[in-house]
Amino acid sequence: MLTKSKNGTFRHRHRRISFLFTVFFMCAFNVFSYAHITIGQFHVHDTIFIASEPNYPPYSLVDENGNADGFSVELFIAAADAVGLHVDIKIGVWDKIKNDLANGDIDALPLVGRTPEREEFYDFTMPYLSLHGAVFVRKGTTNINSVFDLAGKEVVVMKGDNAEEFVRRENISDKIFTTNTYEEAFQLLASGQFDALITQRITGIKLLEELGIRSVEPLDFQIPQFRQDFCFAVQKGNVELQARLDEGLSIIIANGTFEEIRMKWFGPVFLEEVSFEDIVRILLIFFVPFIIIVSLIFIHFLRKTVKRRTQSLNDEVEEHKKTLDEYRKQTMLLEERESQINLLLNSTAEGIYGIDVNGNCTLINQSALQLLGFTDKSEVIGQNMHYLIHHTKENGTICELDECRIYKAFIEGEGTHSDLEVLWRTDGTSFSAEYFSYPIRQNSEVLGTVVTFWDITERKKASEELLQLKNNLEIIVAQRTAELEDKVQKLHKSQKAMLYMVEDLNQVSARLKRQTRKLELSRNELEAFSYSVSHDLRSPLRAIDGFSGFLIEDYYDQLDDEGKRLIQVIRESAKKMDKLILDLLNLSRLSRAEMRLSESDMEEIAKQSFNEIASSDEKREFELHFKKMRPLICDPNLMAHVWNNLIGNALKYSSKSAIKKIEISCLEADKALIFCVRDFGAGFNEKYKDKLFKVFQRLHRDNEFPGTGVGLSIVQRIIHRHGGEVWAEGEEGKGASFFFSVPLTV
Amino acid sequence: MSSIHNVEILIVEDTAADAEMAVRAFKKNNLANNIYVVGDGEEALDFIYARGQFEERAEQAAPKIILLDLKLPKVDGLEVLRTLKADPVKKLIPVIVLTSSREERDIVESYSLGVNSYIVKPVDFDKFVEAVRNLGLYWLLLNQAPSLK
Repeated sequence: MLTKSKNGTFRHRHRRISFLFTVFFMCAFNVFSYAHITIGQFHVHDTIFIASEPNYPPYSLVDENGNADGFSVELFIAAADAVGLHVDIKIGVWDKIKNDLANGDIDALPLVGRTPEREEFYDFTMPYLSLHGAVFVRKGTTNINSVFDLAGKEVVVMKGDNAEEFVRRENISDKIFTTNTYEEAFQLLASGQFDALITQRITGIKLLEELGIRSVEPLDFQIPQFRQDFCFAVQKGNVELQARLDEGLSIIIANGTFEEIRMKWFGPVFLEEVSFEDIVRILLIFFVPFIIIVSLIFIHFLRKTVKRRTQSLNDEVEEHKKTLDEYRKQTMLLEERESQINLLLNSTAEGIYGIDVNGNCTLINQSALQLLGFTDKSEVIGQNMHYLIHHTKENGTICELDECRIYKAFIEGEGTHSDLEVLWRTDGTSFSAEYFSYPIRQNSEVLGTVVTFWDITERKKASEELLQLKNNLEIIVAQRTAELEDKVQKLHKSQKAMLYMVEDLNQVSARLKRQTRKLELSRNELEAFSYSVSHDLRSPLRAIDGFSGFLIEDYYDQLDDEGKRLIQVIRESAKKMDKLILDLLNLSRLSRAEMRLSESDMEEIAKQSFNEIASSDEKREFELHFKKMRPLICDPNLMAHVWNNLIGNALKYSSKSAIKKIEISCLEADKALIFCVRDFGAGFNEKYKDKLFKVFQRLHRDNEFPGTGVGLSIVQRIIHRHGGEVWAEGEEGKGASFFFSVPLTV
Repeated sequence: MSSIHNVEILIVEDTAADAEMAVRAFKKNNLANNIYVVGDGEEALDFIYARGQFEERAEQAAPKIILLDLKLPKVDGLEVLRTLKADPVKKLIPVIVLTSSREERDIVESYSLGVNSYIVKPVDFDKFVEAVRNLGLYWLLLNQAPSLK
């Protein structure tokens, strides 16, 4: 085994390898410890199937019992075990098993050098081993000192090995030969075939040792392009298994299992006394290549990192671009908003300014400048607003900062409002202002205050005027109230007066009742009187007349003419007296008779009257003219007496006249009808017309026109009882007109 | 005056002059042979019901007509009229109110009590005679009165 080698050089090589491992894993672990383990679509069974090569010592080989063994195999089993996976291993040649994995016949391979070609088929865990290839030649070969010297040379590699991939990829030579195993390749090289063989340095040395070939040796120069990172490989896309294996690797590295296995296969590092030359040699031969290897590993990781970083940087750049675009957009929007806000600020009638926590102005709008008498905001920005415009109260006393209500907005963190204070203009004058002061907050911190204010001088004036008006109104109201009270008192008095009046009225009405009763009594007496007159007064008259008649009848022969004439006078006087009595009774009766009102046809009543009164001669002689009369509410019986008297008069007083004509007319006056009976008879002297309607008053002698002087009195009584008037016009010898009016509403 | 028996016309009149004129008017017209005059309502009722001073008179021998003045002492004319017209037998005797009164209420009252005629005495005696003649002709000669039993 390797650990038991007595070859010093090889020991040194072991030490170099162990050093390499250490350094490699220090880096690798750091790098991969960040790796995120993601679970993919593949399901990982508890048992996984892998395959290993029989002939890649010390990494992959077959032990005396025919079981798979080797550093890589043991490492795989340990890593799988760490994440709870059981491993079933079969043995197969490389060319076969690598296809098995690609086809999915097995789950993983424990030892696969990572190359770009293979990344198409497999996914790799973190590399647990990094080896560099070496060029092996027969001893004594001198014409090959670098990779470039291989051009044109016959180069043999194992078929399918990454060495083959490398030589073909890098186009090392046009004469490339392949064998199935490296053992065969080394044996052929030792037998003199080919010029050079390329494989992993350690693998090559191990094989040469096992084959006992001493005529072949590796060249000391490095092949930087052919560096092999060995990893576990899984089928392409089996991320889940890859992640588990990576995890397992990390675990065994961390818990020391990795180191144990490494120690088992590569043995402890012996510290030997080394000479200075040795140190120099080591430095030159081993350390320099080692540094190169480490550098290369670093470069590899760096590249990956850089690639990743570049990607993420690109992403970031893209992101930043987006952010920048967004920022530009936001800035534009912000500018637009700002200009809008400025526009808004400057177009509002209210003055608006902002102050910071020190009370210094940070913004101010145009209205505020105008209200305060400034011409430009530069006069105000940065100034302490309290001392600039709010320093003095209306009554002239100083307004201290600590009593300033505007400051309260951010001292107390609450909005304040006032309309009782004054603000000062730059010219030293002040004006009444109303303001709102609101704190500006960011998060919970108060950054300042925005103050909105406006001039309320006019409003104050208006409200004072209003107050004045209100006071005046109150005075007026008080006056009116007093007047009202006065009136109420008067009313009270009036009420009392009224009560007295009612009392008086009651007394009066009682008196009236008494009077009415008296009147009734006297009326009864009058009736008794009338009755008595009509009955008793006429009896003697009848006797006078009757017995005068008997005198003439019985004593006619004994009376001379004078005696007969005297008896005749007695009889006529008696008759005349009877007529007087009857007329008087008539007057009395018609005055007392109850009114029976109904709608009556006056024309009809008048015509009937004429027909009743006029003798047949008169009817023949007289011309009667009627004008249309409208119906009227009246007592038709009483009204018949009116017509009887008036028409009777007209007939009587026309009896001696040439013109025998009666005109009866009616005209409508204000709320009354006026009737007229006109004749063309004797007429009367106007100066006596007042006497016409008085009882027993006559304007003609009885022997001219007989009468009692009662008829017109009756007419007047009846018309008065209807609420109307009577009057007359006339001229002696030419006729008379008698008028009477009857109200339309009696 | 005349006999209380077989009286054809009973005149109820308190004024003697008026009564005399009435009698004269009847006589002038040759209308009645037996006219009897009483001076008041009570006497008139006594006469008709044959009581008091008229006890010996046969009640059945009712006058052919009664001339009744309204204004009478003791029992007035309307009361007499009411009594007679309320009596199922006596109401058959024609009663003529002969009065000076033109008062409407008297006229209305008389007719409502069942008077047979109402005559206002005219002052003019000639007219009075004319009126008496007319009523006498009618009530004594033309009118066929039912017999009173």
